Amino acid sequence: MNMNRRKFIKTTAVAGAGAFAVPYILPSGRLFAASGEQLAPHVVYVLFAGGVRQQESILQRYLADSQGLPWEGNILYNMFNGAPPTNKIVYGTDQGNGAAGGTPIPQILSQTLQSQGTLFREVSSQSNGHYGGLNNLLQGSQVTTQGLKQKPVNPTIFEYLRRHGGYAATDTWFVGNGIANSIPLLNFSNHPDYGASYGANFFAPSITFGAPGFEHLADAKVYHPENELNPMYRMKYFLDQSFSSVGTAGDSIGNTEDEKQHIKAFMKQTYERVTQNLIPHPPVTDSNDALTVGYACEVIREFKPALTVVNLSNVDGCHTDFTGYLRALHRADHALGHLWNFIQTQVPEMASNTILIASPECGRNLQHNPIKDSNDWYAFDHSDDNSSRVFTIMAGPNVPAGLSIGSESNPVGITSDNVLTIAEILGVKNEVQVAGLVQAESMSLFDRI
Amino acid sequence: MSSSNEYLFLMNMPISKYLLLVSVFAIGFAGCKKEIDPDRYEVNPVELYSSIGEKTKEKSREQYVSILYTNLFQQALSGNELVEIIDCLESIGDKELGREVLISNFMNKPGVILPTDSVMRANPDVFIQDTYERFFVREPSQAEITWFRNFIESNPQLSPELVYFSFALSNEYLFY
Repeated sequence: MNMNRRKFIKTTAVAGAGAFAVPYILPSGRLFAASGEQLAPHVVYVLFAGGVRQQESILQRYLADSQGLPWEGNILYNMFNGAPPTNKIVYGTDQGNGAAGGTPIPQILSQTLQSQGTLFREVSSQSNGHYGGLNNLLQGSQVTTQGLKQKPVNPTIFEYLRRHGGYAATDTWFVGNGIANSIPLLNFSNHPDYGASYGANFFAPSITFGAPGFEHLADAKVYHPENELNPMYRMKYFLDQSFSSVGTAGDSIGNTEDEKQHIKAFMKQTYERVTQNLIPHPPVTDSNDALTVGYACEVIREFKPALTVVNLSNVDGCHTDFTGYLRALHRADHALGHLWNFIQTQVPEMASNTILIASPECGRNLQHNPIKDSNDWYAFDHSDDNSSRVFTIMAGPNVPAGLSIGSESNPVGITSDNVLTIAEILGVKNEVQVAGLVQAESMSLFDRI
Repeated sequence: MSSSNEYLFLMNMPISKYLLLVSVFAIGFAGCKKEIDPDRYEVNPVELYSSIGEKTKEKSREQYVSILYTNLFQQALSGNELVEIIDCLESIGDKELGREVLISNFMNKPGVILPTDSVMRANPDVFIQDTYERFFVREPSQAEITWFRNFIESNPQLSPELVYFSFALSNEYLFY
């Protein structure tokens, strides 16, 4: 090379300046990346888990504040510090010779999430119903006109991230526990400034990778991307162009052709892994929530998303079965512990740089309803003020460890805070605030610490 | 014989004779020339759309899947299968991707009825015309015929299956 040192430095400097000066057009069409710094490149957000009473979760009262029995203890010991109950154990598995549910599931995490991160002990849920609560957790706003079987009215966190952060469709995932209760509607809103083209990918694994999926999706023909799919898409685009003045599908979330290929290959691979029993489910899989988390692990390992939202809901059996509720709570904690452990040990690209957030969408009533279960224990609905009491737990980089904030007499935080918190972690908090569609009093939880 | 007598006659007939009578009628019908009487069979003649702009309504998922199945298999989909397929589409966030996977799955099933490659290439204009009528219930414009003819002729590896796939995945197919 004839280039001398001075010329090399000059050339490099010019090229470097050019690189900074030329705007980078993101996949979303946004000219520049988000203005804020990221606190972490990945967030895993668990909607936990179908209406959770503070009494049996954060307050660790077990049967004491529900059935008038004197047994207390912590059945969520992957999440919270505290000793488990010593009597009347019904929440475990049926293994061994003891009573049904008499064998507690072993703890997965060597250190609880509470020790690893920050716990907001008393948070106000903005809705005491599931759909309102879930919408609140994903939109960061309370919309009184939000109806069941209706797309979110305001943008979801997925849309904020994709529109303002330039994230690709496969950077945002929502793994649902099923397709009931409007769950599949939550991956994007019908807000005119956001909507489908900024939505998240979604699977309801119990369907997609369950019996219906095996029957109607698993045998999908694999076409050659260049020789077959490319001309097929060219014909489709020609047909769409002819029809463009009349209408469009309006329900495509804008996966690129490469992303579609990636998702289809993932689906094919997952069907094979299901057949081979290779899905990384939690050790105990006797609940749909546990199975859902196994598939969420699969999505995380494959796509390493910026945001993965996982919805759990088995706890809602508490409407009629308190024993089943305790079992579901224990399993949701088990599944959450497994998820966090999986990320830290099986996904090197996300270990140590992922923040986990978990919040119930609502609590449950203080007073029971008249329904008794097989243990003669009363069931609980969710409609009173106690249903507005929940917690939020966070762990990961930049989250203070071992910090506990708020108390029963001093609530700190509202569930709509989570949207701004995730926006801050992934660098778009300012943009979300400027959009002006989140609840006025919500703040990033980092600002509440 | 009045209709009531006819009924009694059938009721009193031994089952073997009854089956024989049914068989004779069935063979007789099978031997007849098929002429569908729209009034008798309640088959509604379908008018082709005169223009693309007439399609203003979006099909429901149920309509889309039922019509797609009928177009590809030339028979009706069972109610149970329809419900399961709708659930499958609900379980995938990117609906267009879901439709793509569903169509790919249909294409892999026995019983899918597709024109052969030689039929398509023997007379591309007729194939294009038929495909537009089958999927879009309208006639193609001259520009559309020309584009597709050129595309088919310049892509020797293009199969009728891929053409059908593109129509089934198109936005126009979502509307009626």
